[in-house]
Amino acid sequence: MIPYANLIAALDAAPGDRPFVTMWIDEDERETVTFGEFRARAREQANSLAAHGIASGDRVVLIMAQGIPAIVAFTAAMMLGAVPAFLAYPNFKVEPSKYQSGLAGVTANLSAKAVVIDKDFPQEMLTCVTLDGGSLLLRAGKTLSAKESSELRTQIRPGDLAFIQHSAGTTGLQKGVALTHAAVLRQLGYLSDALKIDPSNDRIYNWLPLYHDMGLMACFMLPMVCHVPVVMQSPIDWVMQPEAMLQVIDECKCTLGWMPNFAFQFVPRRTPQNRWKDYDLSSLRLLINCSEPVRATSMQEFENAFSIPPGVLQSSYAMAENVFAVTQSDVSTSGPTRIVVDAQTFRREHSVVAAGTENSSTLTFVSSGRVLPNHEIRILSDEGSMLQTDFVGEIAIQSDCLFDGYYNRPDLTEQAIVDGWYHTGDLGFLHDSELFVVGRKKDLLIVGGENIYPQDIEELVAAHPAIHDGRAIALGVYNPELGTEDIVVVAEVEQPALLANATELEQELRTRVVSGMGVAVRMFYLKPPKWIVKSTAGKAARAATREKLLQEHPELNGDRSA
Amino acid sequence: MTPEVQQMIEHILKLIRKPGIAIDENTPLVSSGLIDSMALVDLLMKLEDLTHKRIPAGKVQPKDMDTVAKMFATAERVGKQRK
Repeated sequence: MIPYANLIAALDAAPGDRPFVTMWIDEDERETVTFGEFRARAREQANSLAAHGIASGDRVVLIMAQGIPAIVAFTAAMMLGAVPAFLAYPNFKVEPSKYQSGLAGVTANLSAKAVVIDKDFPQEMLTCVTLDGGSLLLRAGKTLSAKESSELRTQIRPGDLAFIQHSAGTTGLQKGVALTHAAVLRQLGYLSDALKIDPSNDRIYNWLPLYHDMGLMACFMLPMVCHVPVVMQSPIDWVMQPEAMLQVIDECKCTLGWMPNFAFQFVPRRTPQNRWKDYDLSSLRLLINCSEPVRATSMQEFENAFSIPPGVLQSSYAMAENVFAVTQSDVSTSGPTRIVVDAQTFRREHSVVAAGTENSSTLTFVSSGRVLPNHEIRILSDEGSMLQTDFVGEIAIQSDCLFDGYYNRPDLTEQAIVDGWYHTGDLGFLHDSELFVVGRKKDLLIVGGENIYPQDIEELVAAHPAIHDGRAIALGVYNPELGTEDIVVVAEVEQPALLANATELEQELRTRVVSGMGVAVRMFYLKPPKWIVKSTAGKAARAATREKLLQEHPELNGDRSA
Repeated sequence: MTPEVQQMIEHILKLIRKPGIAIDENTPLVSSGLIDSMALVDLLMKLEDLTHKRIPAGKVQPKDMDTVAKMFATAERVGKQRK
């Protein structure tokens, strides 16, 4: 249990001279703030926000690059009792108008009082944050005179909203997960017990973006509330130079971190093999695989490359709707349980039959561990009935950390929470009370741990004049090389003759998707009219189209997802 | 076109594996969707090899890697001597 009434009280109790956040820019440049310095900066920022009229209960959207000023501004808003939400920074690939319309949707849905941007927010991107509603546009880091910097006296109750988390994409921006101080503190209490957090010896490493639940909870809230130092990199720096992660862990003696599955392959494959031995990762106590289905091969690859002893790589199943973790593997064991099952029974009967040793007719699944205290899991059939252990179905959860609903969206909430159970849209099974996540029921792509809604991509593609309306399907196909899903799009052209210019058309569509959403499509398949399988209602049928595509294009059959 | 630029273009063509695509020094790669962010690391490593410099990612934005010409300009601007 964490003995504080709210998140700010937890921050106030941290030892002032302990390092809190170190931002790693490169080997010659980094910045560290202690808890004491951080509190002073956050108070100053809070006073500045208050001077602009931000008060308790106001929603504040933060668009700031990963770094100490972003964490300061977020905390400052919470100090006032306001409710901050991080949004992803504008990506240079995305057209400003697209970013602007996404932002307009969020600020309208939250009735945001203000949008806060960096002190050095690039001039050329200002059009991305042009606001026409009632929200103020503020720059962070503006200092005030000492007179204005008065003591803050906001009362924060445990049941008050602490912040809002969004998932990515236009569709995801409609789903603001609003969380209370009490729910966040309960979650962090369970998690810190499960991970045996030791504030005086642990040090967290993080490259995950703060607008993502794993970055926000595990690498900002947990360190702040449990008083653990954290060393942070920007996600873009990490993806461009994953090897630097090894250097950071080695030099800063980090003990704990979280990454999505693909990263366990990406780091060794993108670090020249002759340098693997240069890094001493022996300080690492736990590195947790979270936010994509966990693959045994990815974990093995990381362990082998960097001589990681058993028990360091662990797993968890987490989501913003539950603050963060639902399950955690037992960190006192040699690693998450693996189960080898008969592939045919799994595919045909959606059930699990243990199959002895691995071979070509078996599948291996890795456990995400057992539920945290006061958490329950049910596995549901398509009809909504409870399935027994060893049967695959939709994972539903109930806990005392669960969100009350999507902010201002009772319609979306009603679909997601049924009789007090949150229907996750993930598919999995229970075996010996451990949860194994095997895929998705909802039409969601998870690429490098980020949620991407296929509808957002399909809309952009189908809007092209050469593509038949409503005849584009975006799919996630597992790429064993990358350890994550590739985005694959199949679309019907209006006229067969248009296929003669398929290369040019494909490039136009590719540019459309990247400038609309900032994500790259790995494979495009342009097809003649009537190729996509339709449902009885005349709509494109995703699952059947997927089957057809995989049959016609065996090159995609690296896919082993269920 | 320097031999290094030529080698970089060949490397990129191998990476994207799309027959029929031609690229030159000024072809947008990231903003056109030809290269996704997970491939940037390959370009940065190749750029380090070709320029014999160490290029810290902390000083590079994806937009600095959007064309081959920009990549070499970036290496010139932020590249350090190898230790």
